[in-house]
Amino acid sequence: MPIQINKGVIGKESPPFVVTVERGKIKEFARAIGDDNPLYLDDQVGRASEWGDIIAPPTFMTTFRDGADSGAFLKELGTDISRILHGEQEFELFRPIRPGETFVCRSKVLDVYEKTGRSGPMAFVQRETSVVDSTNEVVAFIRHITVVRL
Amino acid sequence: MKYSRVYFDDVKVGDELPAVVKGPIQQIQLTRYAGASGDFNPIHQDDEFARAAGMGGVFAHGMLSMGFVGQVVTDWAGPATVRKLAVRFAAIVRLKDVITCKGRVLDKSSKDDVHLVGLEIWAENQRGEKVVTGKATVALPSRS
Repeated sequence: MPIQINKGVIGKESPPFVVTVERGKIKEFARAIGDDNPLYLDDQVGRASEWGDIIAPPTFMTTFRDGADSGAFLKELGTDISRILHGEQEFELFRPIRPGETFVCRSKVLDVYEKTGRSGPMAFVQRETSVVDSTNEVVAFIRHITVVRL
Repeated sequence: MKYSRVYFDDVKVGDELPAVVKGPIQQIQLTRYAGASGDFNPIHQDDEFARAAGMGGVFAHGMLSMGFVGQVVTDWAGPATVRKLAVRFAAIVRLKDVITCKGRVLDKSSKDDVHLVGLEIWAENQRGEKVVTGKATVALPSRS
């Protein structure tokens, strides 16, 4: 018996959340991927670079999470974490980000649609998060598609 | 060649980027990535949970593989050049898999002193199956 996905979430915006980029978190993330680029890991190399500090890897913004949100969102969608897979992910980046910067993130649900694939019926939940800096400039859009096995 | 500066003028459509090889994937790396990324879905940590969820055992975070293919781009052109990184997760990465990440130049364009190079990027496992497919855009300096 397949589960029902709540399409009422389409267009829904989550409350904005604020993140501050931590130096240690950038390094921890780079090491977890196994990427030893000195522009992520070496403060001296960062200081000598045109950015004046270390910068974050291009997928680092996946760490920008609204702690309270994910379980509640899946519940509202009508599913739980055991049924979800990551379908697609995109980062559109307008500039590198550095330790100490604070950003406001706003997420919304762009679309929810269903398709039947090789492994049965699935729902696709398409979301976009804008990342805005303290001068109100957009530094990135994060887009992702979550797949729910129905 | 790693971390050398790449100029827009020197790039040709069809050029291949140096491959990045990762793995064999170990559970400890998935645990480490969970901590670093904040994605604590037990499907990547707890084999019993993953089996009960019908996934046949734990598998790697898609975002870990995206980090791997991102490194193909950043090793080649530098981390600050990346304007877009977009992937589809085509197949699941299991423990012990060896992931080879590759890239190729698709197109070049210049507008208002911004020089963009479009790349095809992908990752394949030890059986040659694509696990990640995608595209990237980098903005490169020009010699002129």
